[in-house]
Amino acid sequence: MQILVVDDEGIVLKSCKRVLESEGFEVILANSAYEALVAIDHDPPSLFLIDVKMPVHDGMYLIKELKQRGNDVPIIVMSGYSTNETIKEAELMGASRFLAKPFTPYELLETVREVIERR
Amino acid sequence: MLHSTRFKLIFSFLIVSFLVGGISLFIGGHLLYKTVLREATNQAKLALSAAADVYRTNIKYVNVALNITTLGMGFRSSFIDRDLPDLIDRIERMSGYAGLDFAGIVTQSGTTLCRTGPNSRLEDTGQIENPIAQYVITHHQPASGTIVLTLAFMTRENPDLSDRIQFYPIQIDSPKKTAQDEQQGCMAIAAAIPIFEHRTSGELLGVLYGGIVLNHSTGIVDSARKSVFFDEIQQEISMPTATILFNTIRIATNMIDENGLRAVGTRVSEDVKQEVLVRGKQWTQTHFYLTDQYIAAYEPITDIFGKRVGMLSIAILESNYSAVQRKVILFFIITTLMGAIVAVCMGYFLARRITAPVTRLIKASWDVSKGNTASDIGPISKDKEIAILQKTFKNMVEAMKRRRMASESQILQSEKQASVGRLAAGVAHEINNPLTGVLTYTHMLLRREDISDDIRSDLRVVAESTDRVRKIVKGLLDFSRQTKLDPEPTDINRLLDDTIKLIENQALLKGVSIQFNRREDMPMIVLDQSQIQSVLLNIMINALDATKPSGAITISSTLDLIANGPGHPGIEISIEDTGCGMPQEYLTQIFDPFFSTKEVGKGTGLGLSVSFGIVKEHGGNIRVQSEIGKGSKFFVWLPIEKQVNQNANFSRG
Repeated sequence: MQILVVDDEGIVLKSCKRVLESEGFEVILANSAYEALVAIDHDPPSLFLIDVKMPVHDGMYLIKELKQRGNDVPIIVMSGYSTNETIKEAELMGASRFLAKPFTPYELLETVREVIERR
Repeated sequence: MLHSTRFKLIFSFLIVSFLVGGISLFIGGHLLYKTVLREATNQAKLALSAAADVYRTNIKYVNVALNITTLGMGFRSSFIDRDLPDLIDRIERMSGYAGLDFAGIVTQSGTTLCRTGPNSRLEDTGQIENPIAQYVITHHQPASGTIVLTLAFMTRENPDLSDRIQFYPIQIDSPKKTAQDEQQGCMAIAAAIPIFEHRTSGELLGVLYGGIVLNHSTGIVDSARKSVFFDEIQQEISMPTATILFNTIRIATNMIDENGLRAVGTRVSEDVKQEVLVRGKQWTQTHFYLTDQYIAAYEPITDIFGKRVGMLSIAILESNYSAVQRKVILFFIITTLMGAIVAVCMGYFLARRITAPVTRLIKASWDVSKGNTASDIGPISKDKEIAILQKTFKNMVEAMKRRRMASESQILQSEKQASVGRLAAGVAHEINNPLTGVLTYTHMLLRREDISDDIRSDLRVVAESTDRVRKIVKGLLDFSRQTKLDPEPTDINRLLDDTIKLIENQALLKGVSIQFNRREDMPMIVLDQSQIQSVLLNIMINALDATKPSGAITISSTLDLIANGPGHPGIEISIEDTGCGMPQEYLTQIFDPFFSTKEVGKGTGLGLSVSFGIVKEHGGNIRVQSEIGKGSKFFVWLPIEKQVNQNANFSRG
């Protein structure tokens, strides 16, 4: 089970990797939308964990790109500033779940498991 | 100046005053003039007929005098005997009594037997015609009336008279003497009585004649004047005048010229001649003569042959009447001017009465616009409208004062929230990333089993503190949240029921009673249910926290049509507790972010400011009343009409 985490903040990437790997998931990290798009060509993941607010291209752009490429891998959107509009927009674009930062390891794992099970 | 109330008022009054005065002056003056003129004309006509009477009486007088003489004892025998001294004596005496200018006796052949005056016995051969005697010889009956006599006749009759009868008439419009104009002969009133063989019948033996020369005579005109205008004789200046005209020449008059002489020898105008002499009509006219304007009446004089030979005229000085008119006009003018003066004064004082308080109001308005609401508008006017204006102004200023205080504090509140909101949003977002790290690693550490209890308990403190930070940041985000409202029609009583259920257990545990006074006919309100519920819940939890056991919380819903909204119908929810209350200085701060009365760690202080923001976005407001030791009462007012404020977002991302 491979999960691609996209965030411009190193500490978030590191935290996710630490929690998810401890539970046996395979984690790929990308610190920008561009990096993420390059990464999926080499190694297509089975789950995306995408931050909304990033410099240059944001998370919404990335989701749009993925959907355009016909990628229907489930997506979890996370943000430190969770407004109703952001959540709704993300869901509209095809995100499976929304995860508000900051989150505890338990919250992260629960969300990931829910999405996988639903699939 | 021209547009000031004072000027307009005075001007209006003046216009009215001049209009009324002017119209009455014009109409009154005009009517009066016409009446006066008519009156004067009538008077002139009356006077003229009286003068004509006098004229006729004088003719009769001459006639009577001659008649008496012919009937006198011994007259006929003296005539038959040709006793000239006796006859001359008789006619001299007759002339003396009757004031005759000439008299004489003519034989049946037309030869003068004798006459008065220096040529008493001068016989003539009938070459110089004696028209009146001739008339009697021809007609065999007495004659009397006006007659024109030639200069030659008069010179023979009495050479002394020839001076009196000559005129060089002056045409007033063209004052030049011409030979043609020179008047020949004179006009006289005369009579002639036939002397018959027997008393009144038989053969005609001769004629007694006599008369009065009218040229330069005074008797008839003066007595005519006296008889007609007796009551006016006192007023020398306004006396009317009588005039006798021979043809068109004034030959006898009592009109006085500038030299104090009788104004004889002038001609009348052509139109008078045409109208009276030629057509024989009576004629009245105002005209200018010598130095004054006259109202004059003329009528023709016909001689014994039925020929129009002269005119009789009466002239009244027009100034007699125009003086009255002038006086009336003057009176009108003075009245109008006085009216105008009164109008100006009235206008001035009225304007003052009106403008003085208005001026003060204007000044007060200026002061208010500059921010000074304490300006004095003076005593309340006695004028009803002005008083209403003053009172309304006062009320307006009071209302402005209150509203300004309210809006100032509200603006301050909004600004505070906006700036704090922006800051909070930015900070929260930045803090959340490192906080994710802290939470992750702390919890990962806690999962390990190879750590001592000391370390575990320390880590727990870190985790709990981090959780508190998380809550604070979440509160900050809620506060600055720019979420759109999700409004739907809501039964506010049901929403209150649902909210009360959430704290009922807590209240029960604490021993606080909750009472809900619902108003049943509440309208449906369009609002974001979850947001408003969180507002109500927040206030209820605060109330519960503040209330000691055995205290009470009373919740009421009321329909508040206009009380708190800006002229907008709405509903009001009040939440009252019997808690500890708040000091007055807190009341202005409780809606500030991070303001809290709770102990550190118990509240984030964001609750009420978030509530304030939510209610504000719904177009409503929150008020609070509080008294220390007695409790607090919160009022949430919401408009009935959907009035969701989309612009009340305090921050953006």
